[in-house]
Amino acid sequence: MADHRSDATLLAALRPWLSLLALRRGRLAIGAALLALTLASAIGLLALSGWFITATGLTGLLLAAGVAANLEVYVPGGGIRFFAVSRTVSRYLERLYNHDTVLRLLADLRARLFGVLTRLDSQALSRRRASDWLNRLTADIDTLDSLYLRLLAPAGVALLAILGLSAFLALFAPRVALGSGALLLIGWLWLTLGQARLGLAASRRQVNELEALRGRLVEKLQGMAELEAYGSMARRRRELAAIEERLYRGQRRLGACVALGNALANLLVGLAMLLALWLATQAWAAGQLSGPLMVMMALAMLAMSEALAALPAAFTWLGATWGAAERLNELEARAETPALPVSAGLEGPELPAGPLSAELERVTLRYPGALAPALDDVSLRLAPGERLALCGASGAGKTSVGDLLLRQLIPSSGTLRLGRVALAAWPEAALRQRVAALTQRIDLLDDSLAANLRLAAPEAEEEELWGALAWVGLDGWAEGLPEGLVTRVGEGGQRLSGGQARRLALARLYLRDPGLVILDEPFAGLDADTAMALASRLDAWLAGRSVLYLVHQLQGGPFRPPGIDRALTLVEGRLVSS
Amino acid sequence: MATPRNAGGGRDVRRWLNALAARERRFSSLAVVAGVIVTLATLGQLGLLARVISQLLVEQATPASQLPALTAMVGLLLVRAMALYWQERLGQLASLNIRSRVRGELLDHLARLGPGWLTGRHSGALASQLVEQVEALDGYFARYRPQLALCVLSPLLVLGVALWLDWLAALFLVLAAPLIPLFMALVGMGAERLNREQFEAVARLSGHFIDRVRAITTLQLFGRSQGAIAEVHAAADDYRRRSMRTLRIAFLSSAVLEFFASVAIAVVAIYVGFGLLGYITYGPSPDLTLFSGLLVLLLAPEFFQPLRTLAQHYHDRAAALGAADGLLAILEADPDPVRGADAPPTQAPDALLELQGACVTQPGRGRTLGPLDLCLMPGEVVALTGSSGSGKSTLLQLLAGFVGPGRGERRLADGTFFAWMDQRPLLIRGSLADNLRLAAPEASDHAMREALGKAGLGERVEGLPEGLETFIGERGVGLSGGQAQRLALARVFLSRAPLVLLDEPTASLDAETEALVIVALRALMEEGRTLVIATHHPALIAMASRRLVIEAGTVTEVVHG
Repeated sequence: MADHRSDATLLAALRPWLSLLALRRGRLAIGAALLALTLASAIGLLALSGWFITATGLTGLLLAAGVAANLEVYVPGGGIRFFAVSRTVSRYLERLYNHDTVLRLLADLRARLFGVLTRLDSQALSRRRASDWLNRLTADIDTLDSLYLRLLAPAGVALLAILGLSAFLALFAPRVALGSGALLLIGWLWLTLGQARLGLAASRRQVNELEALRGRLVEKLQGMAELEAYGSMARRRRELAAIEERLYRGQRRLGACVALGNALANLLVGLAMLLALWLATQAWAAGQLSGPLMVMMALAMLAMSEALAALPAAFTWLGATWGAAERLNELEARAETPALPVSAGLEGPELPAGPLSAELERVTLRYPGALAPALDDVSLRLAPGERLALCGASGAGKTSVGDLLLRQLIPSSGTLRLGRVALAAWPEAALRQRVAALTQRIDLLDDSLAANLRLAAPEAEEEELWGALAWVGLDGWAEGLPEGLVTRVGEGGQRLSGGQARRLALARLYLRDPGLVILDEPFAGLDADTAMALASRLDAWLAGRSVLYLVHQLQGGPFRPPGIDRALTLVEGRLVSS
Repeated sequence: MATPRNAGGGRDVRRWLNALAARERRFSSLAVVAGVIVTLATLGQLGLLARVISQLLVEQATPASQLPALTAMVGLLLVRAMALYWQERLGQLASLNIRSRVRGELLDHLARLGPGWLTGRHSGALASQLVEQVEALDGYFARYRPQLALCVLSPLLVLGVALWLDWLAALFLVLAAPLIPLFMALVGMGAERLNREQFEAVARLSGHFIDRVRAITTLQLFGRSQGAIAEVHAAADDYRRRSMRTLRIAFLSSAVLEFFASVAIAVVAIYVGFGLLGYITYGPSPDLTLFSGLLVLLLAPEFFQPLRTLAQHYHDRAAALGAADGLLAILEADPDPVRGADAPPTQAPDALLELQGACVTQPGRGRTLGPLDLCLMPGEVVALTGSSGSGKSTLLQLLAGFVGPGRGERRLADGTFFAWMDQRPLLIRGSLADNLRLAAPEASDHAMREALGKAGLGERVEGLPEGLETFIGERGVGLSGGQAQRLALARVFLSRAPLVLLDEPTASLDAETEALVIVALRALMEEGRTLVIATHHPALIAMASRRLVIEAGTVTEVVHG
């Protein structure tokens, strides 16, 4: 499914992100202009100072020799003070402005990728919910976020500075400008493209090597009991050492590349200065150039080091940006494949009201890379208003049935129908309105109780929220909270017990009016009294709706979901009647 | 390691970082030496530059006569570039050695702490610490520390030359010199605050993003995807507005440094210029020449450069301090003193393992098991029952030696080794065969097939096109829970360990797999192995020859009726 794009070029990988940047091109241009202004001030400060000192020195000598000489000192003096201040001010403004831009870009990037993620199916998502994957995603976003400030702007401004300085020098001595400008240009090409080429492969691999190390470490830590029992710790440690060595080898190589680039940048500026000095000396000797201007040219070249300093490290690590862009492109491509067919908004077949029937016809579901299909030729029908219990162990495929009906997955083969309409033909909004589910994993936002309830009903009044809480028996508890409905539930709802989280999720369902309800282990984590109290209320609310219960096994007593008409059992993806 | 390092509250993170640096002093000192060479080469080069200009303009020398000086400058440039290269490389090497050693020490320490300590800890988070937090030390050792030394040495060298040229101009720099520690503090404070607040804000924002991504299925199911996208954007934008307020202040500190560096150049330029014109007659000014004037001007930026570089690396320090805090928390955990010590031999003839008056105490929780006497004979099947949290797992860990008896004794018959299986079997990224060979590195294909057969996976694996070489993805992608459990059982068969310790081997399995596992365990029993099983399952309890009931750390043997 994840299309392989190893042959895609760097530029192709970066293109979508460059066009995202282009949306803010005004800000980017102003930021670059501020960078250029800072740089121009630095060059101007040193160059004008050199000119001034030389001019005063020569005038001083004339004066000392008794020659009447005059030097206008106030304009250059004022210029020097101006550059000193403008360098500081423009640097400050540049940092502030560009950080603002970067943060705006971050907001754009996050929103865009979040949009991409919302289009993924549940199988793609389940793998991507792991915290290491999420960390990598945020790291990749951050990497792309720095594309402008770390790569594009410094390289562009350095090029601009080289051209600008050369043009300025050409006013006085075209040969100096041409010679040193050409040298700087060649150097610029090396420091950007050459360094990128040197480090591309290694910097692209770094993330993978870190991931490999992390993966092995997780294995080792999770399985330490078995490893220690079987005496395999030392062997695993050696394997780990080999992965570490690969990581360090890459780092050594990249470190050497960056150090080389920095040394070369330094050498380049020195050589450009010498070349400018030498050519300017020739012009001066030929009487085409004054002494102070000659000095100014050499010193202006020295100040170029500020323009080039940031390039080698940034471009040696270009591969990391490439890798990040490719991973995110892959994610986008995955979201764009028609895994989840979204039908056009309002047009569509006539959708039935009231309880919905649901039907699976010869459905097979195969996850890529799995040893056996998750569902193997499953057919079942849920009549309107019927309550069907689908039993099975974890991994037997009952969650897959739920995900299929919720259109979070599409079958490898077979047909699904909801209310006699092909599931694929249901408009998205209508499907979400008519089908509700209590998933096995309860997702709670790190937000207030009210915000979590309002996920189900954004317009709900506070009284309705209290009503829903009362329905699941959480009203007493919530009233006792000092902050009531605005109490935050913590990351992943960790401030709630498992049972409370489950009841809160049930309360969310109560705020809606679905025709089909899918309940995955509705009473998991609840004590017997609560389950019993809830069962009768649930029973009443479920009247007039079709219900699919997904349960591990049907026990008697309080944990039996209410009103089951029929039960089926799934074993390793196959339906066995019971 | 056992002495508490956190006396007086905060851990001594800085001391630990210093100790780490001390062990790589050779590389870091050489890096500093290279940095000093860079400064010297710069001074030489600038001196020659000023001299060449002065010779040409003042002494009216011909350009050709300056070629030797220009050649020497090229030579100095090369020396400087090479020294720069090595300054950076040596810093990197020091950092690499330190990181590699820290990672090794952490792994050793975790191995000493053992599986007992690891239970209840998030292995993903620990692995991240071992990867990211160790990497976060990089910039600090590679760049920040060498630069810290150069920040003192290089300005002193520059100042020395300036003093020799013109003490009044040098005075401008000297006046700035006492300000340098102030700058550093200023930069430090700014950067520290910036870093702390940014770190927290970034973490909060990432947390918000990750939180919404985790809940994405629910957002989809409630048809709230669009609203959530807008919310993600709004949160990031709100973060931007708030952090810009901080940045406005935080960037000021570096602006001050920048300002002084610029003003120093400007003041020196104007002082020298007016001095050369003869407008200033005070002190050394009348002796100013174009050579000394130009050189002083060229020295002014060099004087401030090391500090500016340090300011750029300041965030490396903050990152390292944060990371060190997390890593020290692992290194300061005390390993069980009994772990790793050889168990004394059993006293009763034929006994496989004996516990006598054995207790397990856990820090902060007191005694969690025992005192307990137990003698395991070959071929016995012992069921451990009791409610969750009563100490069944602790007893298994004690038997395995993952936790040592705090008091009492654990004795082991000579040459006894054991196999272990719990609810979350280890699955490594690799082939099925790789996973099986964890238990027996030399196992033949035949032996592996046989073991798979006994564990009830034979048919399934035979049916796979690549058989034993079938690749299992990361964290067992491609295997169901029951299949993973049976793979772990196959490892037990393969290991030939006389003692098998099983922690809830049938929990969360469906009835069919459960039955297969029970058959397999019976086969293990028939092979004459000693089984200790923590379980609730009636069939397994019925299979056992002895049954121990554990309640709140106290063990009582129930005699079968």
